[in-house]
Amino acid sequence: MDPIEFFSNHIFRMVFFGTTVIGIVSGALGAFAYLRKQSLISDVIGHAALPGALLAFLTAVVIFGVNGRNMLLLIVGAVITGTLAALFANVVAARTKIAIDTAMAISLTTFFGLGMLLLRIVANNPFPGKGGIQDYLFGNAASITRADLTTSVVVGAFALTVMLVFWKEFTLRTFDPVLSTMLGFRARVIDTLMFATIVIAIVIGVKAVGFVLMVAFVVTPPAAARQWTNTLPAMVILSAFFGGLGSGLGAYLSISMGNVPTGPVIVLVLFAIFLISLLASPKRSIVVTALRRVEARKALKREFNTEGAPR
Amino acid sequence: MTPIACESRDLSVAYRADPVLQHVDFRVPVGSVMGIVGPNGAGKSTLIKAMLGLVTPLAGTSEIFGRPLDEVRNRVGYMPQSATVDWDFPTTVIDLAVMGTYGELGWFRRPGKAERERAMAALEQTGMQDVATRQIGELSGGQRQRAFLARALVQAPDLYFMDEPFQGIDAKSQQSMIEVLTGLSAAGKTIVIVHHHLASVLDFCDHVTLLNKTIIASGPGEEAFTSDNIRAAYEASDGAEAFLTAAE
Repeated sequence: MDPIEFFSNHIFRMVFFGTTVIGIVSGALGAFAYLRKQSLISDVIGHAALPGALLAFLTAVVIFGVNGRNMLLLIVGAVITGTLAALFANVVAARTKIAIDTAMAISLTTFFGLGMLLLRIVANNPFPGKGGIQDYLFGNAASITRADLTTSVVVGAFALTVMLVFWKEFTLRTFDPVLSTMLGFRARVIDTLMFATIVIAIVIGVKAVGFVLMVAFVVTPPAAARQWTNTLPAMVILSAFFGGLGSGLGAYLSISMGNVPTGPVIVLVLFAIFLISLLASPKRSIVVTALRRVEARKALKREFNTEGAPR
Repeated sequence: MTPIACESRDLSVAYRADPVLQHVDFRVPVGSVMGIVGPNGAGKSTLIKAMLGLVTPLAGTSEIFGRPLDEVRNRVGYMPQSATVDWDFPTTVIDLAVMGTYGELGWFRRPGKAERERAMAALEQTGMQDVATRQIGELSGGQRQRAFLARALVQAPDLYFMDEPFQGIDAKSQQSMIEVLTGLSAAGKTIVIVHHHLASVLDFCDHVTLLNKTIIASGPGEEAFTSDNIRAAYEASDGAEAFLTAAE
């Protein structure tokens, strides 16, 4: 499909801009999750957001009798259960002898199981406005409305602003938590803010991409960007760029190819960017590193052989 | 009497239910270079952390320049143990040094040109100006420690805490670091160093504390750093025996 035809279609435009905004926001915010080594906790949050979104839907429909598919409502529900799941994993790991990976796996599957159960309950009962709710799982980019796009932009801009305002505090807390505390920066305040931005980075894509695949938007762009950059500002900018590029390109490809889901195509494009970064980045390329190691070993071998040779 | 830079009284710390420090009375006179020495697990780092408010003591109090830490944070500098640093973090040497200004900047305010100039001056002081734009992981062991020393210098504190600053560094870096420390000491700054290499303690420390969960001895170098005290602190561990045999 040629670009003119693509961008003259309202739905296609919404898909393109909606996913690009999600990619930029998640890519930028994901950089701090990557550096704090919290990639897996993003996975926990993503899966645990499902029951929260569904509970928010049920609360709105059953108790208040209002439209349950409001994006802001969804985000609030997702943030609550996502946070609970992450807290649960961290508390179990800190207070028991159970390791963090086990704690996260238990938390993730339990919350996700609850989510699947709620999904079936919603599907089996005649709740008004439940159409498309199964999309929370894997998303449906074609369902992005102008209002959703606005919500994404506003929530995303809010999270990015928090990151920029607390840039210095986030950086120090991530790199050197000891000095950060010592200098009098309250760890709990910074951690709460950082955690909130990471949760927003995940839940912002629920409608378009779904909770399960959103993790790739948070994790993959920073991992790729780190290969090319040596400073934090450059890494965050490039990560946002990769996120936006992968999403825009993925959206375009998925629509051009016909009846193909957008989220999975974007994830594959992001993986391609990641793969190229692994192979081709000048300083950290796995190819260059391997070649260098072979050369160094050869040199070492020659050295040992001459040393050991009889005189 | 010499004024006291930092002091702990009857300090006890436990991780979960394991006591790490017991009834530690520790005082460092202003202007001294105090080496904290002891075997692995003796609580050397913990003592520093407790004084810096990084771990909560079970009992006892600490004061810095006769005041609670909160009132004098900006007078205290800290150099972390190399092993605890994420060397792959995307930051350059100059950016690392600029972090030394974050404390006085406080919340929200960003470092500007003046802060970068101060950071650069500290890098020159430690001989690191030529590698200012390198990512920290690209540095040698000695350069890494000097980069963190520069950051501590930028803080311009009156009291320095350093956790194993000579770990894994070359002789030249060690020499240039000792020169900087000597200069600081001559300028009246107080330095507390966790150190594990017995043979070199008295090369740069004028005071020594032998620690093994409790204070075995603490005071001016030769007074505290005696064979009997070392033996008591190390409980006849192999490394200490070898050192003592070599010294006799």
